[in-house]
Amino acid sequence: MHFDKIVNLSLIYATLRSATPIIYAALCAAITQQANILNIGTEGIMLMGAFTAVAVSYLTGSWLLAIIVAMLSGLLMAMIIAMGHLKYGAEITAIGIGVNMFALAFTKYLLNSILGKTGSFTDPKIIGIPKVHIAAFDNNEVLNTLFNNWSITEWFALILIVLLTFVLFKTVWGLRLRAVGKFPLAAETAGINATGMRYQALAISGLIGGLAGAHLSLGYSKMFTENMTNGRGFMGVAAMFFGGAHPVLTAIGCLVFGFADSIGARLQAYGVPSQFVLLMPYAVTVAVLAISMAMKKAREKHKKSSLNIADKKGLKS
Amino acid sequence: MRDLWVSLRRFLFIILFSLAIGAVFIMMIGENPLNAYGALVRGAFVGKLNLGKTLANFTPLLLTSLAFAVGAKGGAFNVGVEGEVFLGGIAAAYIGIHWTFLPMPLHLLACFLGAMIVGALSAFIPGALKAYYGVNEVCTTILLNYVAFYVTSYLVSGPMSAGVANAQSHAVADQVKLFQFMKPSSANVGMFIAIVVSIGVIWVFNKTTFGYKIRTVGSNPLHAEYVGINPKKNFIQTMMFSGVLGGIAGCIEILGVHGYFLNNFAANLGFNGMLASLIVKNNILLTPFMAFFLGALKSGALGLQQSTGVPKSIVDTITAVFIIVATMDLLFQYHKKRKVKMAQKEGE
Repeated sequence: MHFDKIVNLSLIYATLRSATPIIYAALCAAITQQANILNIGTEGIMLMGAFTAVAVSYLTGSWLLAIIVAMLSGLLMAMIIAMGHLKYGAEITAIGIGVNMFALAFTKYLLNSILGKTGSFTDPKIIGIPKVHIAAFDNNEVLNTLFNNWSITEWFALILIVLLTFVLFKTVWGLRLRAVGKFPLAAETAGINATGMRYQALAISGLIGGLAGAHLSLGYSKMFTENMTNGRGFMGVAAMFFGGAHPVLTAIGCLVFGFADSIGARLQAYGVPSQFVLLMPYAVTVAVLAISMAMKKAREKHKKSSLNIADKKGLKS
Repeated sequence: MRDLWVSLRRFLFIILFSLAIGAVFIMMIGENPLNAYGALVRGAFVGKLNLGKTLANFTPLLLTSLAFAVGAKGGAFNVGVEGEVFLGGIAAAYIGIHWTFLPMPLHLLACFLGAMIVGALSAFIPGALKAYYGVNEVCTTILLNYVAFYVTSYLVSGPMSAGVANAQSHAVADQVKLFQFMKPSSANVGMFIAIVVSIGVIWVFNKTTFGYKIRTVGSNPLHAEYVGINPKKNFIQTMMFSGVLGGIAGCIEILGVHGYFLNNFAANLGFNGMLASLIVKNNILLTPFMAFFLGALKSGALGLQQSTGVPKSIVDTITAVFIIVATMDLLFQYHKKRKVKMAQKEGE
């Protein structure tokens, strides 16, 4: 094995590249989790966004318009979840799964009826998200491999992490949202409209999810395939659990999965069966999630050990 | 009795609503919805082949939907049934191919037992993770589905490969193949096995201590703990029970329908079972009927695509709309909604 060919500088960018769609998905799940809503529909929102982005980019030739419409389509999906869950009392997991299935079937149908293709769609007329080329980095090999030619949405993911952290932990709105998540009754007593906050959280989540999809289909690749999210939404949800819904920690979790993905792709050249390479991100996600949750539980137990009162929580809490 | 009428009326409302939305989609691509729905029904029931297809679709869905419903009643949202079908199937295929030294009834039994054990073990992982570490089971089961798929895919294209163009295993021994009674469709005696198993499941769920424990833990884990049931242990057992059913479904598919392990044979079996269960809100008694309905829809969709220009995906879309609407408890229940609102006002 050529160790230096597997682990080198470009692996860092490869990791980031395959992590970015998951980072968006994880942020989409994190913002609702702060309001104590588990957004299982992330996958569906993302898939819908991915399709819309490709369709709009193909039909209008504008990547910016494509992103905006994709975000709106994500918003629409999130609003279905919000209406169902908040107004009509749907169980959040059930309606989330429902939305995922709807997105899967509906994008297939639209692919058929609007673009006239089955399976996958790729066309030179699809305008991808442009890459940022910084000429000053050209001469430096390290900076060039690390930071040059990122697509705009890859840079924006970093900005979004900082932005969301700021909004959640440094603004009144963020405090209110977290209050609704922690203890809705107390929040309402303090005069916060809990249902309204939940709607807002889901709306923002939908916008981010739509962006996640647009990045996947126009930034990460330049095509649409049936079920192209392929579990990335769920990986995002897993990363969100890993990071305890904190944007920065969540993003770090995504990097772990991105690393598993990109190192697997390199190992394939050395005779590792492709199926093992493909299953690696999923298996690593489950393992990392299990370990992090076990550690969290142990920490909590340690904290509580001296004042062991309300420890009996049962399964549902 | 009134409750049944209310839920039936609600059900009809949802069906009509979904069909109406579907009609809009069908008209959008310039087809006549009535023709399309007619083709759907013909594709599901008219002719020996179509009816047989419906029955063949119904068999695994019956088991996977019950697997999901039992899990859901015990508080486990087990999306991993699909993975359990895959792993159960590969276990059945392995035993079916290699353990030919056993006489016929024992060999068949071994196939089923192997599939059940593997299914249960694969459900044990997410169950234990949730019970002891609080890892969300929806997440882990979905991700483990991919793991199960890739592991079986590796096995049938590598160590267990039959060496033909498709990724598939060698054929299982003839003595364990289940008899197909409606040729040329693949409906087989596995259907009767599935029906017997599901009657057994309904009995276990409603009439035994184990079933009582599942129901108690699912509806109120605190109460369960109070009366001396260990909710964690019971949660894991529920998951494993669910896994056993998934394993049986995989075994029947392998021995009855294919006769060998075909790569990706269980695509969407678990998901459609989950759909069937979710639509009737995990009601164990109604789930089998929903499984039949979805099985018919699946073969009907094929007929629809062949005889009209309507793509199969439209049926999936309608089903998804169906489930989204069905999960909304308070929709179409104006009476109940008003009551809930009044209760909320009083509470304020």
